[in-house]
Amino acid sequence: MVKFTEALKQGKLMGAKCKKCGEKYLPPRAHCRCGSHEVEWYEAPTRGKLFSYTLVTFPPDSMTKYAPYIVAVAELEDGSRLLAHITGVSPKTLQVGLPVQVVPHQISEDRIAYKFKPEQTTV
Amino acid sequence: MVGIGHAKFGKRTDTTIRELAHEAVRPSLEDAGITASEIDASVIGVASGVWAAQASPGALIHDYVGLGNKPMFRVEAACATGSAGIQTAWSLIKAGLAEVVMVIGAETMTHVGTSMATEWMARACDTRWEYPFGITFPGSYALMATRHMHEFGTTRMQLSMVSVKSHKYGAMNPYAHLQKEVTLEEAMKSVPICQPLNLYDCCLISDGAAAAILASEEKAKKITDTPVWITGLGSASDTMMISERPSLTGLVASRLAAEQAYKMARVTPNDIDVACTHDCFSIAEIMSYEDLGFCKKGEGGKFIDEGQSYIGGKVPTNVDGGLKSKGHPLGATGVSMTVEITKQLRGEAGKRQVNGAQIGLTHNVGETGQYCFVHIYTR
Repeated sequence: MVKFTEALKQGKLMGAKCKKCGEKYLPPRAHCRCGSHEVEWYEAPTRGKLFSYTLVTFPPDSMTKYAPYIVAVAELEDGSRLLAHITGVSPKTLQVGLPVQVVPHQISEDRIAYKFKPEQTTV
Repeated sequence: MVGIGHAKFGKRTDTTIRELAHEAVRPSLEDAGITASEIDASVIGVASGVWAAQASPGALIHDYVGLGNKPMFRVEAACATGSAGIQTAWSLIKAGLAEVVMVIGAETMTHVGTSMATEWMARACDTRWEYPFGITFPGSYALMATRHMHEFGTTRMQLSMVSVKSHKYGAMNPYAHLQKEVTLEEAMKSVPICQPLNLYDCCLISDGAAAAILASEEKAKKITDTPVWITGLGSASDTMMISERPSLTGLVASRLAAEQAYKMARVTPNDIDVACTHDCFSIAEIMSYEDLGFCKKGEGGKFIDEGQSYIGGKVPTNVDGGLKSKGHPLGATGVSMTVEITKQLRGEAGKRQVNGAQIGLTHNVGETGQYCFVHIYTR
């Protein structure tokens, strides 16, 4: 998992691919559902489209200070999906299909996660 | 099914989990006309010891209700715990290990408060990859609702219509947590929880208990003249992470469990006279119409729109008030569904009776389909 977080710091998203059956996992896992423990890293795409979303206004107790926040599922370019927060977008302008990218999200010095943000349009 | 009992669901800070269980067990024994000494074993469904701050809550309840040295199994299947209990009891009887089994479902949740209750339940999501993003159960079902609305044009109003129906029938159920009707306008305008779901789209956090006594065919005929038979059982599971699911507009586990149950009972969705489906959220009930085959995929919104899940419609669904109005004390819910269907098939449901109901169905989902049990009953 160190490799996953190290890569994330560089803005890369690493998944795991089974050497036996070829199944891809994002987030990565150490063992494949086929029973094989031989998995290798692969670099997953960081661009995709919004698949679904919800604006959470009633959070669980531990998340109270972050609310309201938007939890989204994005479908990446290779078809895999990921769940994370999305920021930099107004809830009102959100819609299924919105182009998004996965970016690293440094929560504190020793904690890193990923989040979605609307894809930068190069004008 | 030879005996049923139901405690009053609600904010039951007047009591404790063992006393609440007793409140359901006592009438179930009276209903069957037997004593605790005639029970061969118990299956006790409590979704988590966390709520009652009691590890091994099964042992606590089993002892308190007077089952002494009889064998006891405690089951856990999140919100589907009660139905896991029914299926376990059925299996014990079918295997010949017992002839009469008491299933008790109980949970006391309200004392922790809604914020903490949401927290504990959210920890049943993948705690490494999904829970840290603050996803909750309303949140997970909201992701499904967003998608269902996007793909099929299901409307905000249709979601609220489910809640209006639940409250209409819950108001007629003396055991329900919230016995009051709501208008469509009230349901549509309530406080947002996880958009597009608002307060009235979400089931209640409740305390409650229910009990059901199952017996072998031979024994059941000796105990009662009005047994209700379990003729079909199905169960299935799904991925822990909802982001891994190919579709978010239905629950694969529901479809698989239903297929098994229909096949075993040799019936089709058209034969179901009355159903209790897992309406933890309004969207969940709409998806259940589709997953259980009451209507075509994508037409769940239309099904409630047309009143097909009301008494008089195609499949009267959750006419006991459902999880929304009756309440959802996790471990008790599946047993409560069984109690309701048994009442309906015996013709004892009073104002909520579906006239002439012959075949009933329960559909109980744990988490977002990581557990699912579908059972079919006949009289």
